[in-house]
Amino acid sequence: MEYLIHIAILISIYSILGISLDLVLGFTGLLSVTHAAFYGLGAYATAILLTGYGVNFFVAIVLGMVVSGIIALVFGLVLNRFRDDFYALASIGFNTIVFSIFLNWQELTRGPLGIPGIKRPELFGYAFTSNISFLILSLVCAALVYFVSRYVTTSSFGRVLLAIREDEEAISVFGYNTVFYKLAIFVMSAMMASIAGSLFATYITYIDPSSFSIHESIFILAMIIVGGLANHRGAILGAVFVILLPEILRFVGFPTDIAAQMRQLTYGVLLIVFMLYRPKGLVGKYEL
Amino acid sequence: MGIVPQLIANSLIAGSIYALLALGFNLIYGTTRFFNLAHGAVAVLGGYAMFYLLKHTNMAVWVSAIIAVIVAGIVGYLLERFIYRPLRNRKASGLVLLIASLGAFTVIQAVIAMIFTSQFQTLSSAQSGLFHIGGAVITDVQLVIMASVLVIMVLLALVLKFTSFGKAVRAIGDDEEVSEIVGINTKKVIARVVFIGSAIAGLAGILIGYDVGLEPTMGLSLLLKGVIASIIGGIGNVYGGVIGGLILGFVENFGIWKISGEWKDAIAFGVLIIFLIWRPQGLFKR
Repeated sequence: MEYLIHIAILISIYSILGISLDLVLGFTGLLSVTHAAFYGLGAYATAILLTGYGVNFFVAIVLGMVVSGIIALVFGLVLNRFRDDFYALASIGFNTIVFSIFLNWQELTRGPLGIPGIKRPELFGYAFTSNISFLILSLVCAALVYFVSRYVTTSSFGRVLLAIREDEEAISVFGYNTVFYKLAIFVMSAMMASIAGSLFATYITYIDPSSFSIHESIFILAMIIVGGLANHRGAILGAVFVILLPEILRFVGFPTDIAAQMRQLTYGVLLIVFMLYRPKGLVGKYEL
Repeated sequence: MGIVPQLIANSLIAGSIYALLALGFNLIYGTTRFFNLAHGAVAVLGGYAMFYLLKHTNMAVWVSAIIAVIVAGIVGYLLERFIYRPLRNRKASGLVLLIASLGAFTVIQAVIAMIFTSQFQTLSSAQSGLFHIGGAVITDVQLVIMASVLVIMVLLALVLKFTSFGKAVRAIGDDEEVSEIVGINTKKVIARVVFIGSAIAGLAGILIGYDVGLEPTMGLSLLLKGVIASIIGGIGNVYGGVIGGLILGFVENFGIWKISGEWKDAIAFGVLIIFLIWRPQGLFKR
């Protein structure tokens, strides 16, 4: 039972990451490979505020979102100059830079040692120490992200994003400031990823830079491509699929170090197979 | 004085490796027009193939090196044949190819880690010979690295300029469809290009194995250094990649003279982003 709750918490955290990346990739057509950077910024902001300053979790989560949002604004301003391949490449660059800050700014992040002893969230004297209560908290967060995303994408704002994806020049001719729209959705997506980071840090109670490398960005990317782009349910389905699959492999009985590689192998193969035979993913509404 | 000659030597060595990676990457990008992210993993694979051959067979070093390079080339060819070509035939966008190559990269890296474990390995067994040149210390392996970059660049330039294969490669780079219409067997030429590019990557992997050692996860950073070198030099431009590699080597090594060494990657990407903003076509246009 504890094990199932653990899986469910992971799925809800990754659903948040998937849904938020989908806003940028699926709905706006920007191949961002830097999502783990914002995920990490949220996690580190929360960890540092909780362990170093004793700030309440719910204040820290908001502060983390502010930090991620500001950084995303800066990155977004640069990224908006590029398209397609170069956009992807520059975003990989930003992920690497943020990752090396986590790794090397030792005074703040303790570098490769990571930050241990992060407390579970507390609200009005109630601590979310049991896993089941934490599951409820993360489900609430995931639901909030889901409904906000759905509201955004079904609004007129969302329709402009779709138009940017299909033909950016055409929509800018109609007088829409596409730079503003792309920037807004990028910042929004980064702030959502930061929520996932805050949850992750307080759930695991220990973070280190390796959780937020470029490989994590690729993992999130694989997840929503498998689930299907431009569909919130696709992102959730992808999270379920990509997290359950390696767990099943574990039951087959590989040794742990092989199992870790099997996870990588599985999602590499998934990416290739889906690109070759079903570029839309399981329930996607947009094909790259 | 003192540290500067060594820094110059280190820059040249690192730059040569980046240049080698950029050469292969550029060659493939120049004809197929997509970011082959699996390139870095192919380089690492070349290094590990060499490692395997040295450990389990009694072949001479140069025979093993040739076999390892060919293995890397064949893996590159298989990727092209079974993943990239079907996707191109379907007129898939560059992003689809990029993501598929990302998948291929992950698979190769995982397989290497499963076979050889994630442990750090090195190819050089004995203490290699040292040379003192103008106040800098250089190992014999590092001399081989620099020499092989020169040789390969010249060979590649000659092939591209004077053979009919080279002309076909350049034609496909300009326009694949028209090349096909005028009777160039584009599939065959692209397959060969990918083979050659991957083989060069394999050679880079072997040299890195001798110089600093091998790790399954190093592929991504190798690839990205190669890509950054290509972009600095002008992507798709074979000679530009070499210059770009050398520039990157110098910036990184002189950068860590003042800032601590862990920031190497951040410096490299800082350079990339500056170039993408101010001069996205690179120093030399294709």
